[in-house]
Amino acid sequence: MSLLVVRSLAKSLARRVLLAIDDLNLSAGKSYVLTGENGSGKSTLLRLLAGIEAPDGGSGCFEGRPFGWKPYPDWLRRQLTYVHQQPYLFHSSIADNIAYGLRARGVARGERERLVDDALSWARLRHLLDTPPARLSGGEKQRLALARAWVLRPKLLLLDEPTANLDADSRQQTIELLRTFGSSGTTAVIACHDRDVIELPDMQRLDLVGGRIVQ
Amino acid sequence: MGLVDATQAALLLLVSGDAELWGTVGVSLSVTLRAMLIAMPLGIAAGYLLATNDFPGRRLLIIVTQGLLASPTVVVGLILYLLLSRQGIFGELQLLFTQTAMVIGQVLIALPVLVAFSLSAIQGADPRARETALALGAGAPRIAWTLLLEVRFALMAAVCSAFGRIVSEIGCALMVGGNIAGVTRNMPTAIALETSKGDFAQGIALGIVLLLVALGINSAFAFFQGESRR
Ligand SMILES: Nc1ncnc2c1ncn2[C@@H]1O[C@H](COP(=O)(O)OP(=O)(O)OP(=O)(O)O)[C@@H](O)[C@H]1O
Ligand SMILES: [Mg+2]
Repeated sequence: MSLLVVRSLAKSLARRVLLAIDDLNLSAGKSYVLTGENGSGKSTLLRLLAGIEAPDGGSGCFEGRPFGWKPYPDWLRRQLTYVHQQPYLFHSSIADNIAYGLRARGVARGERERLVDDALSWARLRHLLDTPPARLSGGEKQRLALARAWVLRPKLLLLDEPTANLDADSRQQTIELLRTFGSSGTTAVIACHDRDVIELPDMQRLDLVGGRIVQ
Repeated sequence: MGLVDATQAALLLLVSGDAELWGTVGVSLSVTLRAMLIAMPLGIAAGYLLATNDFPGRRLLIIVTQGLLASPTVVVGLILYLLLSRQGIFGELQLLFTQTAMVIGQVLIALPVLVAFSLSAIQGADPRARETALALGAGAPRIAWTLLLEVRFALMAAVCSAFGRIVSEIGCALMVGGNIAGVTRNMPTAIALETSKGDFAQGIALGIVLLLVALGINSAFAFFQGESRR
């Protein structure tokens, strides 16, 4: 079953074509690794799909429901989430960061606390609970950003180079989280060059060349 | 009375809880606090809208705001005086020489400071803050609140800066307040006028209080500015 279908998604800047995707079809329950040279438009594609940037044109279907980008619909925003290559953490507590999306969805307090608690265990952040997010290491920040996304149980997860800039240990921990994220029924699109991520089970490869997808 | 005697008398006024002295301090703080309570939400909201929206006339509005930062307070007072005086268009409200007039004047002086500083505070926020809020499903009001919280220290610096400017300004307070004892006499007008009438002790005592307030506000400003850059 297809989760997301996108047609004629185009983006140019200063007359330069960054992306020109005729047809992209993501199946539910599968995961995709998005490869391509530096500057090939991987980040741009993820940001367009997440509704963080606006394309010049394009249309799509999510679980059979059509949508467009002008404006990007709120219901779709709640089905997916995007994590920056270098995640931004709000200047509040670790728990507040994880709870952010739940609050935005109006999840009641008791339920919220339970979900945040689960996420803390999942990302193995519990021992850091009192540390201000700004003081966390790169790997811990990445894990917190993943926990903040995981707690929402998104149908589609868009990750921008989650293992770049991490040391070997943090990289392994992050890959471990990606593996369990994938097996929880979330479809992930991961911009990445990391062999160990590409070789995760059930990974399909999407290659971006000259702004087009080679599947 | 010599300077030494006057200073001694001033210190005595300060420690003895002189009613006139502390009444004047009270007028100052009450007027300025009320002005800040009105100007803060307006100024920060305007700064937010200017920072996050593109609309025709936005550039012009920003330039005008920057220009108003330098407006002499006595001219603000003059304009307000003309509006509130009996022949002015708001003359019927009979607000001239009241604390309300002083509050309005201070709001007008504080607004450009708040707008300009919060505009630059919000423009200085990491663009990923907004994107992250968006990606986590926040709607426009929550995004606005999140961004303001993320730059809270810079906003507090803006508030301190506006407070410092209006608590010590004299031009407008004198024009539209009129230095009426116990009603519209605040620290700056009292210092200027009581001293010129020869009451040095009051002037010096009020000068010390105003200096301490300004020092406190400026230290707070420096603290918040430091925090906002961390
Ligand atoms: N705001 C912008 N203004 C101008 N050019 C931009 C802008 N954003 C992206 N680009 C350009 O778009 C192209 C694609 O950028 P993008 O970040 O999507 O590539 P990427 O595949 O993620 O690269 P990397 O592997 O380095 O992360 C690049 O050539 C980049 O310079
Ligand atoms: Mg990129």
